[in-house]
Amino acid sequence: MAQLQSKSKEEVEYKTIRGNARFSYRVIKKNGKTFIQYTILIIVAIFMSFPIVWILSNSLKTLNGISQYPPQLIPSDPQFGNYIEILKNSNTLIYLRNTLILIVGNTVGTLISSSIVAYPLARMNFKGVNLIFSIILATMMVPTVTTIIPQFILFRHLGWLDSFLPMIVPSFFAYPYNVFLFRQFFKTIPKTLDEAAMIDGCSRWQIFTKVLVPIAKPVFITVGVLSAIYWWNELFTPLIFIDSENLKPLTIGALTSFKVHGATNLNAWNLQMAMAMIMAIPPMLLYLFASKFLIAGIKTSGLKD
Amino acid sequence: MRKNAWKENLSAYAFLSPWIIGFLLFTGGPIIVSFLLSFTKWNLLGDPRFIGWENYKYMFSGDSDFFNSLKVTILFTVINVSVSVIASLFLAVLLNFKVKYISIFQFFYFVPAVMPSVVMACVFKLMFNKELGVVNYLLSLIGVDHPPNWLSDSFWVWPTLAIASIFTYATGQMMLIFHSSLKEVPKELYEACDLDGANFMQRFFYVTLPSISPIILFNTVVATINSFNSSFTLIYPLTNGGPDNATEVLSLSIYKNAFKLFDMGYASALAVVLFIIVALVSALQFRLSRNWVHYD
Repeated sequence: MAQLQSKSKEEVEYKTIRGNARFSYRVIKKNGKTFIQYTILIIVAIFMSFPIVWILSNSLKTLNGISQYPPQLIPSDPQFGNYIEILKNSNTLIYLRNTLILIVGNTVGTLISSSIVAYPLARMNFKGVNLIFSIILATMMVPTVTTIIPQFILFRHLGWLDSFLPMIVPSFFAYPYNVFLFRQFFKTIPKTLDEAAMIDGCSRWQIFTKVLVPIAKPVFITVGVLSAIYWWNELFTPLIFIDSENLKPLTIGALTSFKVHGATNLNAWNLQMAMAMIMAIPPMLLYLFASKFLIAGIKTSGLKD
Repeated sequence: MRKNAWKENLSAYAFLSPWIIGFLLFTGGPIIVSFLLSFTKWNLLGDPRFIGWENYKYMFSGDSDFFNSLKVTILFTVINVSVSVIASLFLAVLLNFKVKYISIFQFFYFVPAVMPSVVMACVFKLMFNKELGVVNYLLSLIGVDHPPNWLSDSFWVWPTLAIASIFTYATGQMMLIFHSSLKEVPKELYEACDLDGANFMQRFFYVTLPSISPIILFNTVVATINSFNSSFTLIYPLTNGGPDNATEVLSLSIYKNAFKLFDMGYASALAVVLFIIVALVSALQFRLSRNWVHYD
C-alpha cells in the first residue's frame, strides 16, 4: 500500500484498469470454459437418457401415432389409457408379484447366507483361508450358462422345475459376489471389538450376531439394493426354469406378451413401451434414494479393493 | 493351544458350510457334470448314452455352427468391451469437470446401467426399426436416402449392438470406477501441465491416460469376462441370435442346443469350451490383479 501511495495517481489508475481488464478476461475465459463444459455435459446427458425419454414418449402414443412420420417427441394427444390397459391386464400384476417373490426370496437368502460365509473369511485365522477365498473369487468369473445344464438336471430330479425354488433356494447357499462385498466391509471393522467380546465370553456366533451385524448395516443395505436390482432385471434363469404363464416374472412378460390382437407377429409397441416405462421406474427410484449404497457396492465389486 | 486352533478351524468351516454346499451343488459339481455329459448323447428322455469324443468331433467339423459361434463371440466381445471401456472413460472424464450440479449428470449417465436389458432391447428395437425408427428418421434429415434395416442386416446389426453396449451395466460400473480413479491422479501433474500451457487433449493423453492405465487394463479384462455373461442378456431380447446366425454367440448357442433342441450332450460340450475360454481369461486377470490390487 505504501508503495502504491508513493506513485503518482495516474500511474495507480492505469494499473487498476489494466488489472481489471486482465481480471475480467480471466473471468470470461473461465466462464467460457464452464459454458463449454456444461454444453458437453448436457449433450451427452440427452444422448444417454434418450432411450428412456423415447420409451416415455411412445408409451403415450397410439399404435398409429408411433408409425406417424415424422416421429413426434411430445405426443399431441397423450394416451394415458395405455398404462391403464397394462395395469388392467391381469397378467401384469401376476408378473409383478412373481418378480417381487424372486426379489424378496433371493434378498433374504443372500443376506443371511453371504454374511455368515463372509465372517470367517474376514475375521478368523483358519487353515485354508486363502484357498477358500481364491475359489470364491474364481467362481465369480464362471458364467451361469456353463453350469446351467447340470443345474437343470438336478432341479428336474428334485421336481422343482416350473417353480420359484430353482431360483430362490441357491441364494441360501451364498453368492460369491455378495460374500465378497460382505468380507470387504467386515475387514474395515476393528478386530479389537471381537477380542473384547471374546474376553466377555461370547462365542464366535454371538460375536457375529451381536457385534458385527448391527455395525454392518450399510453393507446389508448395499447387498440388498444390488440384489433387488439384479432380480428386477434377471431374464436368463426364469427363461430356463419357468414355463407356466402365471409364474413368469416381468422381464419375460415384457418380451412375450404384447402382440396386436389377432396378429402374432405384430408388436403392440405402445403397450410394450408403457410396460417398459413401468419397469424402468423402480431402478431409477432405487438409485435416487439409495445411490450412496448402490455406488459403494458397484465400485467395490468392480475394483476388488 | 493346539486344541484351540482345532476348535477355531471347526467353527470357521461351520460358518463356511452354506457356501461349501452351494459350491458343490451349483458350481463345482455342475462343471464336472458338464464335462461328463459332453461325452454323451441325451435328449432328457431315458439315460444319457456314452459316445466318446463324437460331440467334439462334430463341433470341430465343418457341419456345425461352432466356428460361426466362436467368431461371433470374439467379434461381440471385442466390440462390446472396447465400446463400453471407451464410453465409460469418456463419461467419467465428463463427470470430473469442476462444475456445479454434477450429481444430476451422474444420474443421467448412470441410470441406463440399472435398466433391465429387456427394457433397453424393447426401445432399441423400436428406435432402430427400418420404417418406424427414430434413428432412420434422423438419418433422413442429414440426407441418407436408403438407411439400413439395422437389426435385420448381418452387417448393420453390429453397429446396433455397439451402440447398445453403451447402455449396459458394465459401462455404468466402469464409469464409477474410472470416476474415482481420475480423482486420484496427482494434482501436481496437472499444475505442471498448466505451467507448460498444455491444452485439454494434451493433458488427457500425456497425464490422465498414463496415470490410470493400470485401471484401464484391469477394467478391460474384467469387462471381457463380464461380456461372456452379459452377452446372452443383451443379445437374446434384441436379436435372438439373428439375422440367421449372425449374432449367435456361444452362450446363446448353448441355450438353444440345450433348451430348444434338447441336445444336452452337444450343449454341454459347448459349455465346456466356453468354460475353458473364460478360465484362460480369468487366469490372465488373476495375474494382472496380483500386481495392482491388494485384497486387504
